[in-house]
Amino acid sequence: MSLNRPILLVLLVVLLLIGGLRHWLPEEQKAVSHDRILMGTVVTISALAGNGHDLEEAVQAAFSEMSRVEKLMSPHQVGSDLQHLAAPTSSVTVSSETAAVLQQALAISATSSGAFDPTLGGLKDLWDIEGEHPRVPTQTEIAQVLSHAGWQKISVQGQSVHKDDLLTQIDLGGIAKGYAIDRAIAVLQEHGVTLASVNAGGDIRLLGQRPDRPWRIGIQHPRQPQALIATLEMQSGAVVTSGDYERFFEEDGKRYHHLFDPRSGYPGRLCQSVTITAPDATTADALATAVFILGPQAGQDLLKQFPQAAAIIIAADGTALVTSDDLERRLTWQ
Amino acid sequence: MAIKDVWRRMTLLDRFLVGLLICAGVLAQIWLGSRPVGATVVVERDGRVVFQAPLDTPRQIAVDGPLGSTEILIEQGLVRIIASPCPHKVCMGMGAIQRTGQVIACVPNHLLIRIDGPPEETTAEHAYDLLSR
Repeated sequence: MSLNRPILLVLLVVLLLIGGLRHWLPEEQKAVSHDRILMGTVVTISALAGNGHDLEEAVQAAFSEMSRVEKLMSPHQVGSDLQHLAAPTSSVTVSSETAAVLQQALAISATSSGAFDPTLGGLKDLWDIEGEHPRVPTQTEIAQVLSHAGWQKISVQGQSVHKDDLLTQIDLGGIAKGYAIDRAIAVLQEHGVTLASVNAGGDIRLLGQRPDRPWRIGIQHPRQPQALIATLEMQSGAVVTSGDYERFFEEDGKRYHHLFDPRSGYPGRLCQSVTITAPDATTADALATAVFILGPQAGQDLLKQFPQAAAIIIAADGTALVTSDDLERRLTWQ
Repeated sequence: MAIKDVWRRMTLLDRFLVGLLICAGVLAQIWLGSRPVGATVVVERDGRVVFQAPLDTPRQIAVDGPLGSTEILIEQGLVRIIASPCPHKVCMGMGAIQRTGQVIACVPNHLLIRIDGPPEETTAEHAYDLLSR
């Protein structure tokens, strides 16, 4: 059989075209990961898999959502709900989201006997730990500021927030970041993302189970900055850590950090760090602060009210307590 | 052999065309197949890339933020902040980074430095996906 010359040439051209076109055809979706400074920390959003949607677009939408939450709930954003709440008025109307987050904060305050308290804005300003001139205030100053604090002085009805004391300063710092993380995850899901992580300065929520192995989460050692104290295997859900090493200053050899005990007005002294696992980051964020303030024993008791949450508590003397057998099984100590 | 038979039956012009097409195909593969490899240092301010350079080229740069100028040193495959106008110098205390995906941030000065490049496998040394702290 003899070959026809034009057919051979056409075949050659077609083969070359197929080879070339391969580069212009839509590629398999690649994982997308971006970092951005939001809510006073570095936020990393990684979208690893989705059902046909644009992962890049999904990640950008998730960042926009976190930025929107920051504009509502940051005390430093001009025109935010938190700035309106800082005004010396007895009743303030806020967005439905801020009202809902504040309600959840007050519920955890009640359950934790006030260990988590969203009315410590005045105390934070007094210590200025995150500002340029942190200092140890006098007992008189602390007593004066604490006289205006207290979660029972706040009530929420619909979108209306009522303050019994006009000078009470609301601060959602211990819960708003968790809420923003949960909103970012919700937006990723709306965009068809099935496997993702949102990491806001070490406060993490995972979406979906990895196909190859569980997610591995490193837990920072509270006294060795470059070391892990443990790694934790997770299928999904949130992991949030609060520690006395995050933001602090030292005076006369003593460390003063940013997690205040509402009873004394001083930084909590019972723990070095608390890591909470929970289905959502909002709850995990608030519980991490509450358990840190309560300490190992009372913190463990608090978590009995939250059966889906568990904790790794590193006490002030460095001893570790894990509050559930399931969590213990997924931990590898370093 | 069929190919030899076809080759014999081709004119000079046919052979020239075939050669041209094969060369074009090979060149296209090389050109289109090339992808940037190796790690790159990327500096962002408020979400916008303001500087990028290869990690393996030593240099010192100054990047301005709202508080002033932050000095960044790239040396021996490592990146670090060596001077910053921020109050607590946390960014300087973060030390050096060298792995793809690692980040140094100066939150007060709105600067974020990261290393872009081919993704690295999780190894025993870095046996975690994310760090909770």
